[in-house]
Amino acid sequence: MSKCNDISLAVQKGKKNDAVTFVQEALSEGIKAEQILTEGLLPAMDIVGQKFTANEIYVPEMLIAARAMNAAMEILKPMLVDAGVKPIGRAVIGTVKGDLHDIGKNLVRLMLEGKGIEVFDLGVDVSAEQFADAAAEHDATIVACSALLTTTMTEMKRVVEVFVERGLRDKVKIMVGGAPITEAFCKEIGADYYTADAASAGDVARNILVSA
Amino acid sequence: MTKMERVVESLFHREPDRVPVYPILAGVTRNLVGASYEKWATDAETCANALYKAAKDFDLDCIVTLIDLSIECDAWGQEIVYPADQAAHPNYDNCVIKNTDDYAKIKKVDYRTSKRMMMHIDVCKRLVEMANGELPVVTFVFGPLGVLSMLRNQADMYMDIYDVPGEVKNAAREINETLKEYTNALIDTGVNAVMLDTLFASASIMSPSMWMEFEGGLVRELADICHDRGTLVMIHNCGEKIYFKEQIETMRPCAISFLHVPADCKDFAECKEKYGDKITLIGCVTPALAEIGTDEEWDEQCKFFIDTFKKGGGFMLATGCEYPSGTDLTRAKRMVELAKTYGKYEK
Ligand code: B12
Repeated sequence: MSKCNDISLAVQKGKKNDAVTFVQEALSEGIKAEQILTEGLLPAMDIVGQKFTANEIYVPEMLIAARAMNAAMEILKPMLVDAGVKPIGRAVIGTVKGDLHDIGKNLVRLMLEGKGIEVFDLGVDVSAEQFADAAAEHDATIVACSALLTTTMTEMKRVVEVFVERGLRDKVKIMVGGAPITEAFCKEIGADYYTADAASAGDVARNILVSA
Repeated sequence: MTKMERVVESLFHREPDRVPVYPILAGVTRNLVGASYEKWATDAETCANALYKAAKDFDLDCIVTLIDLSIECDAWGQEIVYPADQAAHPNYDNCVIKNTDDYAKIKKVDYRTSKRMMMHIDVCKRLVEMANGELPVVTFVFGPLGVLSMLRNQADMYMDIYDVPGEVKNAAREINETLKEYTNALIDTGVNAVMLDTLFASASIMSPSMWMEFEGGLVRELADICHDRGTLVMIHNCGEKIYFKEQIETMRPCAISFLHVPADCKDFAECKEKYGDKITLIGCVTPALAEIGTDEEWDEQCKFFIDTFKKGGGFMLATGCEYPSGTDLTRAKRMVELAKTYGKYEK
C-alpha cells in the first residue's frame, strides 16, 4: 500500500527514475498493475492538477510530473491490457490550425490521461478535417480543441461544422479551451463543454464518459 | 502638448492634458502599407514605414517596435518560418538545441551577424529619425530565457531546467552577453526607452523563485546597461499573475505593460494603489476583444482602465498585448478617441 504512495509521491515530484523503480518494485512485490494505476498514478495526477490550479506548482513541475507518469504507464500498459483493464473512453486532442501554443493542450491531455482516458494527441496546427478524421479513426467520444489566439479560435467553429457535415456530430462531445475561450463562445459555436483549466477539463471529460 | 511631453508627464506621475494611448499596433500595421507579413517582418524600410504610418494615422502617443519573438534567436542560426498572414516563428521541428548536450553549443555571438537583429536596429534608426523627437520610440527586446526557449522549444526547456539546470543557465548567460551588446546598439539609434519582454515572470509559466534564479539576474544586467546610458527601462509581460515585485526589484523599470492582475494584487484597483506611484502602468485592455465582442464591451474596458488607473498620471491606455494582427483597426481608433475624450484630465 505504502508502495503506491511512494509511486504517487515520485510522480508528483516529477522524479521519473524513482517512479519507474518503485513501479518495478511494486510489481515484484506482487502488487497488481491496476492497483498501481488506481492507487498510485491516478491520485498523483489529481493532486498535481489541484496544486497547479492553486498556483502551488507551475508549468515546469506539471511537465515533469507528466513525464514521470508516462514512464510508469509504459511499464504498466501491457499488463493492464493483459488484465483486460480498459480505458474509460477515448479522446482526440489538438491545438487548432494556425496555432502553435501547445503547453495548455499538453496539460489537458495529461489530466485526461490521469482520469484513465486514452488520448490521441494530434499535436499543433490541426485542421478541422484532421480532428474529424482522427475522431472517426479512433472511435473517440471526446474531441478536445485548444486555441490561444483570437485569430485561431474561430477555427473551432469550423471543427463543429465539419463534424456536422460528416454526420459525426452526435457521436462526440466537443470540448474547447485555451486562454481567450469563454463559456459564451463555446455556446455560440455550438461546442459542448468549456472549462477554464486542465484539472476541471479532466473532471468534465470523466463525467462525459461515465454518464455516456 | 506634444506626444513626447504627454508621455513624459505621465511617466513622471504628473497629469498631462489627457491619458496617453497606444493600442500595441504591430503586425496589423503591415496592412497600412499593403505588405505581406513576411515583407513587414524582414524589410526594415517597410516595417518602419508601417509602424510610423500607424502612429500618424491613428494619432498614437508612442511607437513600440514589437515585430515578433523570433528576432533574437536568429543570431544563433534558428530556422524561422514566415507564414503569409501570421507572425514569424521558429521551425519547432528543427530547433538549434535538439537535446540537452546542445546547450553547450550556445555561445555569445556577434549580433552584427544576425540579419534580423540588424533589421530591427535599422527599424529603430529609421523610426527615431521620422519621429524627430516628437514621438517616443520604444525598442523591444526579448529576455534571454525567452530567446533560449525559441532555440529549444518551451516545453523541453522547462523540463531541462530540472534535468540540466547548469547547462540552461550557462546558455542563457551566453545569450545575455549578446543581448547586452545588441541592447547597446539599439540604444545607439537614439530610442527613448527599451522594453524588455520577460515572458516567464508570471504564474502562467513558472514560480517567482525559479524566474529569479534563471532570468532575474540576467535581465538585471540588461536593465543596468540602459540605466547607465540614461535610457528608460520598461517591461512587457502579458502572462497571468505576473511578478511585479520581483521584476521591479531586478530591473527598476519606469513602466510595465501588462494584461492581467499582478500576482500580489487582488484586482486592478489594488495594483494602482500598490504600484501606481512607483511605476507607470500600461494596459490592460484585452486584445482579443478587438476581434470578438461588441464595440460597447470594448469601450467599457477602455473606460474601466481609465477610471481605475488615470488619477495622478502614471498611466498609459493600451492593449495588454499585441492588437490582433488580422483584425481591422476600428477598435484601435475607438480606443484613441476614448483616451482623447473620456481620458481628459480636468485641470
Ligand atoms: C508561452 C506563450 C507563447 C509561446 C508558446 C510556446 C508553446 N509551445 O506553447 C511562444 C513564445 C512561442 C508564443 C508565440 C506567440 N504568441 Co503567445 N503566449 C504565450 C503565453 C505567455 C502563455 C501561454 C501558455 O503557455 N500558458 C500556460 C498554459 C498552461 O495555459 P493555457 O494555454 O491557457 O492553458 C490552460 C487553459 O487555457 C486550459 N486549456 C487550454 N487548452 C484547452 C483545451 C481544452 C479542450 C480545455 C477544456 C481547456 C484548455 O487548460 C490549460 C491549463 O490549465 C500567452 C499569454 C497568456 N496569458 O496566455 C501568450 C499568448 C497566447 N500569445 C499571444 C501571441 C499574440 C503570440 C504570437 C502571435 C506572438 C508573436 N507576435 O510572435 C505568437 C503566435 C505563434 C502561433 N502561431 O501560435 C497572445 C494571443 C493574443 C490573442 N488572444 O490573439 C497571448 C494571449 C498573449 C497576449 N496576452 O496577447 N506564445
